[in-house]
Amino acid sequence: MNSPRRSLFMKYFVTLFVAVVTPLMLGSATEAWFAFRDNRLYLNEILQVEARSAADRIQAFTDGIRDQLGWVVQFPWTQGEDDRRRIDGLRLLQQVPAIVSLSMVDPTGTERVFVSRVSMNRTGRGTDMSADPAVVGARANRVWYGPVHYRRDSEPYMRIAVAGNRAAAGIVVADINLKLIWDIIAAIKIGDTGHALVVDDTGRLIAHPDISLVLRSGAGAGDFNRLKSVVSEANGSAVSTTGEDGEPVVALAVRAANVDWTVIAEQPVLEAFESIRAALWRSLILIAIGIVFAFVLAYWRASRMWGPIRQLEDGVERIGMGQFDHRITIQSRDELEQLAIRFNQMAEELGASQQKSERINRLKQFLAPQVAELVEHSDQRLLDARRREVVAIFGDLRGFTAFTARAEPDAILAVLRQYYEAIGAVTASHEATLIRFAGDGVMVLLNAPVACEDPAQRAVRLAIDMQAAVQFLANSWNARGCAIGFGVGIAMGPATVGALGWHGRLDYTAIGNVVNLASRLCDLAEDAQILVDPAVTGHVKDSIALASIGERTIKGYDHALEIFAVSRIYAPIRHFDHRFQTAYVQPAETEFDRIAPKLSLTDAD
Amino acid sequence: MVGAALACPAAALAQESARVYRIFWLSTQSQPDPFLDGFREGLRARGYVEGKNVVLELHYAIGNPQALREVASELRRGKVDLAVSSGPATRAMTAVEEVPVLFALSGDPVELGLVKSVGQPGGNFTGSTFLSLELAGKRVELLKEVLPNLRKLAVLSNANHPGEQSEWRATKEAAEKLGIVPHYVPFSGADELDNALGLAGEARADALLVFPDVLTMVHRGKIADFAIAHRLPSMFGWSEYCDAGGLLSYGANQRATYFSLASYADRILRGERPANLPVVQPTKFELVVNLRTAELLGIDLDKSSVLFRANRVIE
Repeated sequence: MNSPRRSLFMKYFVTLFVAVVTPLMLGSATEAWFAFRDNRLYLNEILQVEARSAADRIQAFTDGIRDQLGWVVQFPWTQGEDDRRRIDGLRLLQQVPAIVSLSMVDPTGTERVFVSRVSMNRTGRGTDMSADPAVVGARANRVWYGPVHYRRDSEPYMRIAVAGNRAAAGIVVADINLKLIWDIIAAIKIGDTGHALVVDDTGRLIAHPDISLVLRSGAGAGDFNRLKSVVSEANGSAVSTTGEDGEPVVALAVRAANVDWTVIAEQPVLEAFESIRAALWRSLILIAIGIVFAFVLAYWRASRMWGPIRQLEDGVERIGMGQFDHRITIQSRDELEQLAIRFNQMAEELGASQQKSERINRLKQFLAPQVAELVEHSDQRLLDARRREVVAIFGDLRGFTAFTARAEPDAILAVLRQYYEAIGAVTASHEATLIRFAGDGVMVLLNAPVACEDPAQRAVRLAIDMQAAVQFLANSWNARGCAIGFGVGIAMGPATVGALGWHGRLDYTAIGNVVNLASRLCDLAEDAQILVDPAVTGHVKDSIALASIGERTIKGYDHALEIFAVSRIYAPIRHFDHRFQTAYVQPAETEFDRIAPKLSLTDAD
Repeated sequence: MVGAALACPAAALAQESARVYRIFWLSTQSQPDPFLDGFREGLRARGYVEGKNVVLELHYAIGNPQALREVASELRRGKVDLAVSSGPATRAMTAVEEVPVLFALSGDPVELGLVKSVGQPGGNFTGSTFLSLELAGKRVELLKEVLPNLRKLAVLSNANHPGEQSEWRATKEAAEKLGIVPHYVPFSGADELDNALGLAGEARADALLVFPDVLTMVHRGKIADFAIAHRLPSMFGWSEYCDAGGLLSYGANQRATYFSLASYADRILRGERPANLPVVQPTKFELVVNLRTAELLGIDLDKSSVLFRANRVIE
């Protein structure tokens, strides 16, 4: 009983909950995904711009040095101009701070002038440099960029060689202190802690905002090499990897083409995705609030649904137990309230119908079923107390007391049962009112509570039929050795009729002289005799043969009444059912034989 | 009142959480100490306030590195976060292993055995070098350029300075290469300076070369005046000498060097190991010319390349 109730509640609850939470989560997830994508694109762009800018500036740095070097190799070498060349070199040193020293090589590959910021200058024919890779490279390509090397295991240096337009102009080889690129790299800030760094193609660090990392000469080169290869593989788009300090970073690589260096722009993941993380947190908080809200809403909705349904269920249970006065109060202003109203109406109708059927059942105690139905459906007030003209019929078995003294209780009850059955059937067929059985006696009323046409006529015919039925039974009883007869008295007159009783034991009864008179007549009647009073006689004498049996003094009456007996029984009797019709014929003859003397006797009276 | 009551515990808390660092400053010279000023300036630039979050304890043992050895042993026992040794004082520190030591040297720290290599010091020592050794020849060369007839060069040197001998050797070599006879005038401590100047004045030299060193630095005015008085064109290592009246100077900016030394001090106080901090070498070398002195000495600098090469000309 409990589990389906809970399951309905759960169904509603879960459905409502899911209905609210799913779109919320989907929305948040979609938004987060798009935000993440945008963030990623933005980050990619930022890193690209910064790395490209750094690479461009590094290229500009080396290109600038190259161009400046070009100035000193514009004119062909002539004799005795070493000093002029020396001045050129010194001016170049003055012009380009990154150049630490300068070698000017004549077309034969011999060093003629050497100027330096640190070492002593030299002029005049010096060492043969024709096999120097710088000279060879410059001769071949006009410009030659040497590999990065670390002086005193610390500072990064690089040689750049530039050849003049014509071989006669010679070649200049400059030693460049790459520490000066630091200014370029240190100026690049990506977010708060993002930065750029430069590594050469072997992965050695050339420039880094923390200059001491560069000056450490190849220490940690493995880390930088790994970083370089990972980031370079991404081909210009940002990748998430581990930075040189072991922290996760988002990095992007751009090549500085002329020197074959790689500029890596990187930003710590923590910072790069700060905004998206904040957005995710916001979404999560929203989802949490949404879940709580959905929970409350779903619980409230499900309760609103479940409560009335439980009320209805409870109501049905109570109705089932017969509490028709149970009512349901639902004020939800929807179909459930409508249902509750319908339910209450149904309970009311059920209660009314129950009362009605109880009343009908009660009516059926003393009315023929069809009469009972008629009473119930036409007018309830038929049962109200009133005074009216009624015909009372009393019947009584003769010799029953003697029989009961001898017979076994089972036999007595069997006799009574047959007797009641016969009387009941006859009464019902004549639509008369069976007031009561009292032992072997029976009281039947006509014209009350339902009025009928010609009640006296009908009463006499009913009595005749009753006599026939009981006499038929009596024959079979007498055959078994019981001497039982049946007498009937009929009287007509005004009486007070109405339903009367206590605690549901309701009886319909008639009170008045006519009842007493009928009873007295019954007492007077002999076996197989039907005695009627003068009132009845007055109504039926034209259609039914009656014979006066003389005046008799009746208790309760001041003067004697003339009593009549039904002398002939007209057959067939209308409204009598087939069973009794056939049953009637045979015993009628014997009956007549048997009662003939009595009738004649009566006639004689 | 209420504000003060509220502020007091907060201030106390802040003071408790902010550690006060203790730095030993060791020098064989006397105050005033221009190097210390540079270092202090660098510390201030990095947010250190003396007495609040840093305490500098100054230990001077004039001309006596031996005396500093006692300080060094005190250094090992006490709770000292960092020791900074200037010039010759570094010699007294070589045995210290427990405390990070920052140095500023004219000479080669590898040769002195302070670090394994310039790139990776590998021990508790790191700092700056002025590359004076390398520049020694360059100074002679510049003098020669200004004075093409330079034949005899007086070389004034504080013999207590670490690496001084190497510097002298390099100078001698360069001078001989340029056809100059160097006249070596060493002295030990401030007491001997006047005597040494007298010797230099008697040497009949054409010019005076003074090795950069904290002692000659402190007495730079006296030396410059002496040079002018004796009509000796002078060459020095740092620009401050020229400001005091020296004719020429060529070398790294010592103030900038001590200033950057303070950034290393900051990094070490923040927990970095000296072993991983490369020894800083100067990138820029300043050539400073004092035209007023040149005029006083009657030297026409327009004939040489010196003027256009100068980073700064004092007029």
